[in-house]
Amino acid sequence: MFTRVAAIAVVASTAILASLTGCAGTPVDSTTPVVTDVWLRAIPDIEVDGDMTGMFMTVENTTDEDVYLIGGTTDGTYTSDALDAHEVVEVDGEMVMQDAEGGILIPAHGTTQLMPGGYHIMFWNLTQNIPVGADVHATLNFSNGTSVEVHAAAMTVEMGQETYVPNGSGMTP
Amino acid sequence: MGERDSRSDAGITRRDLFWGAGIAVGSAAIGDRVGQVVRTTEFETVVGSAIEPFYGEHQAGVRTGMQAHGVFVAYSFSTNCNSETLAGVLRVATSEAERLTRGEPGLSDTDPELAANPARLTITFGLGHTVFAVDSGMGLSSQRPIGFDELPAFSFDRLEPTWSEGDLLVHVAADDPLTVSHAVRHMTRVVSSIAKPHYAQRGFVRAQGVAPLADVPRNLFGHVDGVANPTTDAEFDSHIWAGADAGWFAGGTQLVLRRISMKLPEWDTLGSKDKEEAIGRRLSTGAPLTGKSVHDRPDFDAVNSRGLGVIPEFSHMRRAHTGEGRQRFLRRPFSFDDGFFPDGTPNVGMLFAAYQQNTTEQFLPVQQTLADFDILNLWTTPIGSSQFLILPGCDAGGFVGETLLG
Ligand code: HEM
Ligand SMILES: [Cu+2]
Repeated sequence: MFTRVAAIAVVASTAILASLTGCAGTPVDSTTPVVTDVWLRAIPDIEVDGDMTGMFMTVENTTDEDVYLIGGTTDGTYTSDALDAHEVVEVDGEMVMQDAEGGILIPAHGTTQLMPGGYHIMFWNLTQNIPVGADVHATLNFSNGTSVEVHAAAMTVEMGQETYVPNGSGMTP
Repeated sequence: MGERDSRSDAGITRRDLFWGAGIAVGSAAIGDRVGQVVRTTEFETVVGSAIEPFYGEHQAGVRTGMQAHGVFVAYSFSTNCNSETLAGVLRVATSEAERLTRGEPGLSDTDPELAANPARLTITFGLGHTVFAVDSGMGLSSQRPIGFDELPAFSFDRLEPTWSEGDLLVHVAADDPLTVSHAVRHMTRVVSSIAKPHYAQRGFVRAQGVAPLADVPRNLFGHVDGVANPTTDAEFDSHIWAGADAGWFAGGTQLVLRRISMKLPEWDTLGSKDKEEAIGRRLSTGAPLTGKSVHDRPDFDAVNSRGLGVIPEFSHMRRAHTGEGRQRFLRRPFSFDDGFFPDGTPNVGMLFAAYQQNTTEQFLPVQQTLADFDILNLWTTPIGSSQFLILPGCDAGGFVGETLLG
C-alpha cells in the first residue's frame, strides 16, 4: 500500500527521461540513479507461463544519500497495473517474494542488481503475451523524487517456483 | 488491494508462481535479501582477455583467425517459430552474443562468472534451408539467396541424420573450452523459445600460444591444412562475401559443413612418402612437393623422370585445386577426436567448413570432382552434411538477421 501511494506521489515531481530502445535512461542530473542492463522475463504464452513477470536491471546511485527504487508505471501495453518493487526472502525454508518495504535500497555510491531470484520490478495482470525480443517500457520511480524511463528486451530465463507473501500478517499489499 | 486479481484471488499468499528463484535458492542465507551483488570482470591473461570485434558488415567467426576450440551447434525450429518470433529471438541473441564476446555476462546469464574471459570468442549465426521452404510458414521462400541450393547426394556419402541438416546455426569459437561451453549454454537458453538443439559438433585446432600465429594448422593426418585459402579483402569480396547484388544477403556467406570421419589406423600403415603424395605436400614443412616452403605456389606442371606429375594426378591437392578461379572458397577445418567406437576404432575426423558466395558455383563442382575420384577417399568418409546461410553482420543497435526479418 505504502509503496503504491509513494509511487504515485513522486510522478508529479519527476523528470521523465527519454531513452533509446533496449538501453537504459541517462540521468539528467546527478541525483537520478543510473539504470543499465534492463531486461525482462519473456512470457510467450500467458496461459502457460502465468500472467505476471519481472524486470531486472543494474541501478547505480552516485549520490551521497541512500536512494530507494520504489516502483514504477508502464505505458499500459502489457499491463495497466502499477509496477511493484519486490524482494525475495527465505521464509520457513521457502523462497518467497514480497514488497520490498520502503523500496529497493540503492546505497549511497553503491550499485544494486535486480535479478531472477532477487530484487525485481513486478508486472501484474499481464493483458497480452510478451514474446522474446519484445520491447517493454517502464518508468521507474525513486524515493528522491527522480524517475528513469527504460526499455527492456524480453528474454527467456529458467525460473524456480516462488510464493508471493504480502508484507505483514493478514494484509494484502 | 482487491483490484489486483493476480494476488487477491489466491488470498494472502499465492502459491506456485513460476517466478524468482534459480540462482538465489541455496546460496541465500536465511532471511537475507538477494541482490546487491557487484560483478567483477577481471582480465588476467593476454589469451583470456583477447576480444574479437562483434559488429560490422560481416559476422565475426568467418574471416577471424581460427580459435583453438570451435563448435557448430545446430537447432531445430519448434512449431511456434515464424518470421516474427525468429526476429525477436535473433534480436536478443545478437545483443547477448555481443556482450559475451566482450567478456560481459549475458543479461539473463545464470553463470556470469563463466563469461569473464572471452579468449577471442566469436558467436556466428546462420539459417538452414527450411527457413526458405515454401511450406515453412515463414513466408520467406522468395528470399533464398542465389546458389544456396541443396547439395546432391554424393556416391561416397554415408550421412547420418544426427550430423546433418539443422534450421538454425550458432557457431561458437574461442581459445578457451570453458568459454565456448558457457557461450553455447547461454545461447541455447536465449533461443530456447523457438528452437531445440539438434547437434553440437565440437572441434579444435592448436591451443593459443603453442605455435606461432602465422603457422597453418595441422589436421589429424599430420598435414598442414588451410594453405590455399583466400586472405585479402579483394579475394573475400570476390569469392566469400555476398555482394551488393545479393540484396538482403549482402555481406553474408554460404557455409557447407561436412563431418568427415578419418580412418587413422589405415592411414597409419602408410609410409611418409605415400602420405605426402596423397596430398601433394611435405609433412615436415607443408611445402608443395614442387617447393621448399609452405607458401610456395604449387607447380602442377612439374613432372618427374618418368614423366608423371611431381604433385601426383591422384593427389588431393591437384584434384581439389581451384587456382584463382571462380570455384575458390574459404576452408576453416576443425579436427574432432571423440574417443573410440565400441569396436576400438577411433572416432576422429574433421569438421570441414567451407564458406563461399555461391554453393552451387563454387563448392559443388569441387566436391563433385573429389567424389568422382580422390585418393583421400580411401581414408575419409563424409558422415554429416549441413548447409547454412551465415547472415550478414550488423552494427550496434541492429541485429543479425535484420535485413531479412527486420
Ligand atoms: C578429411 C578430409 C580432408 C582432408 C584431410 C583434407 C586435407 C587437405 C590438405 C592437407 C590440403 C593441402 C593444404 C592446403 O592447401 O590447405 C588440402 C587442400 C585442399 N582441400 Fe582438402 N581435405 C579434406 C577434405 C576436403 C574437401 C571435402 C574439400 C572440398 C569439397 C577439400 C578441398 C580442398 C581444396 C580446395 C584444397 C586446396 C587445393 C589447392 O588449390 O591447393 N578438401 N586439403
Ligand atoms: Cu515479484
